[in-house]
Amino acid sequence: MSGRTLSVRSQARTRPTRGRRVRERGPARRSIRPRRVLDLLRRVSEVLETVVDPEVAAWSVLVAYTAGEGLGFNRAFLLLAEGGQIRGWFGVGPRSREEARELWADLRQRGVLPLDRLTEPDLEAVEEERKRHAATLAALSHDLVTGCGVWRRAFIGRSNHPNPCVRHWVAVLDSRELVVVPLMAGSQPWGVVLADNFVTHAPAYHGTLEAAETLAHYLRAALERTQLLLRFQEEKRRRMLAEHATALLDTARTLAHDLKNPLALAGGLAREIMSAPTADRESFTRRLGIVATAVTRAEQRVAELVAGLASRADGISLGPVEVGALAERVTEAFRPLAASRQVRLLCYHPGRPVMAAAAIPSLDRCLENLLANALEALGETGGEIQVAVRDEPPWVLLVVADNGLPLPAPLRVDPFAGGITTRRGGSGLGLASVRTLAEAMGGKVEYDETEPGWVRFTLFLRRWS
Amino acid sequence: MTASRLLFVDDEEGFLELYRTAFSRDGYAVETTGTIEGARDRLAQGGIDLVVLDIRLGEVSGLALLREIKAKHSGLPVVLSTAYARYQDDFSSWLADAYVVKSSELGELKQAVRRCLGAAR
Repeated sequence: MSGRTLSVRSQARTRPTRGRRVRERGPARRSIRPRRVLDLLRRVSEVLETVVDPEVAAWSVLVAYTAGEGLGFNRAFLLLAEGGQIRGWFGVGPRSREEARELWADLRQRGVLPLDRLTEPDLEAVEEERKRHAATLAALSHDLVTGCGVWRRAFIGRSNHPNPCVRHWVAVLDSRELVVVPLMAGSQPWGVVLADNFVTHAPAYHGTLEAAETLAHYLRAALERTQLLLRFQEEKRRRMLAEHATALLDTARTLAHDLKNPLALAGGLAREIMSAPTADRESFTRRLGIVATAVTRAEQRVAELVAGLASRADGISLGPVEVGALAERVTEAFRPLAASRQVRLLCYHPGRPVMAAAAIPSLDRCLENLLANALEALGETGGEIQVAVRDEPPWVLLVVADNGLPLPAPLRVDPFAGGITTRRGGSGLGLASVRTLAEAMGGKVEYDETEPGWVRFTLFLRRWS
Repeated sequence: MTASRLLFVDDEEGFLELYRTAFSRDGYAVETTGTIEGARDRLAQGGIDLVVLDIRLGEVSGLALLREIKAKHSGLPVVLSTAYARYQDDFSSWLADAYVVKSSELGELKQAVRRCLGAAR
């Protein structure tokens, strides 16, 4: 979905146009029905519960502000107070009257209802929407002067408002009536949501302002939660990097000894043999034997260290795992559920043991998540899931393929990023944990849809040597 | 002139073979042992001019032997030789007269041996 399409969706009008001339409609209803408000608040709150990205949270609430089946404003902006400034952070809606006409007409023609799109946000489109409003958001940014943002209730600001911030926003947006919804943190300004009907000039009524206030508070809670989550994830990432660096250093030191020792020996003896060739065949053969043994030892240490490094990095203890037997066992556990959904579940593996360096609980979890994801994709309509184990040195491949729904667009960018709520992939955390676990075992996971009609996840595990 | 007598202590027979060949050709009298006990016994007999000591002797640290040598044979030069550069962080290793990281090129070790023997005389 393009950013342009997103704007269109975010500006959908619910009532069809009946006249010959396309009328521009904003929140022109005289009052917003309480039942409708409650329904809107319920829908938005359900969406925000699962959102893990601050931009998606902002986009969701501002779409609710601007959707025809929402509060019906023409456009809306979120500004956040940061370090003595109130900074434009996100915006939704058309940028001009011409753009509004074009977009709303397109929406009507396609019969798109923006609120329906909230459950499946297109991350690229959200980012695009933010970029589209970048200039306006920059212009809205302002130094926090006394009294700016310190309001308890939503109000309508005009060009003669006593507060310079409000006058600045009204001027930037060229707005006749600007709805200002303040968000306070104690006695300090936290942010503000601005909304207006710059195209339709429809008035905003008391009920709409109240609903706008409630939505803004939902947004603040969602932003605080998602930003905290991001900080937590960043902290976790940093900690993991530090632990990985320590593990690497430790491994480098071990390498210095365990690899350098046999290599120095092999190289030293080889030099001796070259510089002072001996006529004694027995002595020559013995020295050559020492060289060969030292090189073999170095090779073995490399393999052990690779596996050891992976396990040290995440505290997982790796050992030899027979992947075929594991795949058979986990697949068998899913068979009753698959049968109840008319899903054909097949498991292929070589007859001989295929050993990978892995941890059984981690590999169990990976396969369970991939199977659950495949079953979810097939839904109630049935289909087929194929699990296959292949020995492709230096890897052991564990493949899970299904002929269900393709991955939704937001997930295709990075199916393993996590945090995107879609029907296929659930919270997205299942696939994210597959990647985390695969990498912790020194492996990786890849996704492809190269075979038409099939979605395939391939887990690469290091072959046990 | 009598050849200097070197004692190499390393738990890896391959290195001992290498040292025997390389240093004998350079005119040294070379003796080798793979254990701390063997080194103690040989040193007790006297006549050793320099010790080349590996730090990690299996599960045992050669640094304990280094301390022992410096306590009992204070004038005897000791060259530490190991693949594990981290041991330089250990204060005990500072007792050694020279420190050489193991390499297939023995030039640095030979130079350290020559330097330490020269200083001892």
